[in-house]
Amino acid sequence: MRRLFFIVLLSFCAFQSFAEVTVVLNSGDGSISLVDRHTYQPIKHFYVGKEPHHLMSTPDNSALIVADAVSNDLVFLNPTTGEIEKRISRISDPYQIGFSPDKKWFVSNSLRLDRVDIYRAEDFSLVARIPLSSMPSHLAFNHESTMVFITLQGSNQLAAIDLATQKVAWIIPVGNTPAGIIMTPDNQHLLVGVMGENGVAVVDWRKAQIVKHIPTGVGAHNFMPLGDSRHVLISNRGGDTISLIDTQTLSVDHTFPIPGGPDDMEISQDMKELWVTCRWVKEVRVVDLTNYHITHVIPVGRSPHGLFFISHAPRQ
Amino acid sequence: MTDLLTPLQAFLFEHWIEPVFQYLGLQAYVENAYDATYLLLLGVIEVIILVAVFRPLEALKPVENWLDRRQVKIDVLYTLLHRLGFIPLALFFILWPITYSLDRSLRLHGFIPLSLEDWFPILYSNMWLSFIVYLLIIDFVGYWIHRLQHRLEWWWALHGLHHSQRQMSYWTDDRNHLLDDILTAALFSLLALLIGVAPNQLVIPLMLTRILQSFAHSNVAIDFGALGEKVLVSPRFHRIHHGIGIGSEGGNQSCNFAVLFPLWDILFGTARFNEPIHATGIQDQLTGRSYGEGFWAQQWLGLKRLGRTMKGLKA
Repeated sequence: MRRLFFIVLLSFCAFQSFAEVTVVLNSGDGSISLVDRHTYQPIKHFYVGKEPHHLMSTPDNSALIVADAVSNDLVFLNPTTGEIEKRISRISDPYQIGFSPDKKWFVSNSLRLDRVDIYRAEDFSLVARIPLSSMPSHLAFNHESTMVFITLQGSNQLAAIDLATQKVAWIIPVGNTPAGIIMTPDNQHLLVGVMGENGVAVVDWRKAQIVKHIPTGVGAHNFMPLGDSRHVLISNRGGDTISLIDTQTLSVDHTFPIPGGPDDMEISQDMKELWVTCRWVKEVRVVDLTNYHITHVIPVGRSPHGLFFISHAPRQ
Repeated sequence: MTDLLTPLQAFLFEHWIEPVFQYLGLQAYVENAYDATYLLLLGVIEVIILVAVFRPLEALKPVENWLDRRQVKIDVLYTLLHRLGFIPLALFFILWPITYSLDRSLRLHGFIPLSLEDWFPILYSNMWLSFIVYLLIIDFVGYWIHRLQHRLEWWWALHGLHHSQRQMSYWTDDRNHLLDDILTAALFSLLALLIGVAPNQLVIPLMLTRILQSFAHSNVAIDFGALGEKVLVSPRFHRIHHGIGIGSEGGNQSCNFAVLFPLWDILFGTARFNEPIHATGIQDQLTGRSYGEGFWAQQWLGLKRLGRTMKGLKA
């Protein structure tokens, strides 16, 4: 009986250590909330730095990188358990980060100090610091990994930087307060969430031209691919809604309400479950994507921003 | 407490502030506005605490009995301007372009300012240790700024306004010349470039220290006992600093400059614990000098005193 008890206990501990967590960055209080991915219960809360905003996994999924703005470092977490593994310091004010698809470049936007830094992805050695006009916010790459596109939230522009030369290739006006940006699966268009225009600007990046505007909702903010290589979701943070966009027809399929300032999103592998941070109410909401009902409301820290779990849908 | 504030903050922000920012086309700054809403609410709570706790204490155990509180009224205005964020917001707009340019330029030249956490990584994971370290450094710098405010004639010309209150109360802490505020904030911004900014999670602990500073100015006959007086600045300790001809104008005898911890006064030989309590104010007020009664008169007279020192005269 005693032996059985220990076996059960050991199995439980083993399950606990391999249980999958959702990592939530609370930018307002410099902390991370870990939430059990399957029971939806908060399991841990710890301080990580001064302003953690965005996060992404390394190309090989071996680590989850938290961009720790103001603290000037990158924090590496175990992507399954959320435990801190290491820090890389002297990365200047990283706000939004990204790896180029060819895994050669690591790009970091400093929104506060109007600058984009380009590093070699293999060792995070600095290649170039590029000053830009105002508030570099989100970023996206073309599939060839020759260009990175940066939204300039403060100067209402979209900038393209040639990664080989680290020079600005072009800058175009794109509407009031551009934020999130994503490349369509066919590599033809950039979708830019333009907060002040309440919708998405569709940009033909080869011609550096806006070709269409898709109305989505007030404060159109950030994207997440659904995972079917066709649809993307966009959070309309000011209007408390999320819209599903068809990237082939470049139109909205559906819009559903999410109160509390929906911001960053994560989608389950089976594309049935959406997790979204609600910036203004210190909550993460979980949505059943088969009927768009909110199934769980999870309390987290102040101003939750980026979130991640390892068993997510494909990023396309 | 933050959990209790969240619904109110979210309601105010989503129904009143965010729509205004959207209307004005200022969406790029909505996140700053959200943070500012939080600070505004904390400021309101702070003022409520001041009135609810310190006002009854002043009535129960006053050092000085006043016929009326007429002179106190102007200090209420200073406190509201500060604690509800008007003056901090103005300081931000004045100083941000300077600190931004400096910080940006340094980084473009490859210099990333170090922060305390770079030296002591343990601070990342221990909020209270982080709070204590940041607080000690900020208070240490505050002590030396305060000494300079008294030592430099031109700075005393401005800082004298703070000391000119003859009815010192819990409202007096923020009674400052605006130029004095700008100078002090600029020095603390410089400090932030050198050691990093205090983490956001320390907002509430730092708010508590501001309440303590208000308490130190209270018109209450309270001390913290022989040991406590040496640990934390008490109303008695700080009243000695404000005593006419004693704390602030005693030349080499000036004393009790500490903002929160008397430790600095003890270490640098400026602590006086056993001084009898004197009336507060500045000596030349006894011979009729006016420091102004209204806000703008006080600000203008401060500038005039500053002008005198620029000509090599006494403030």
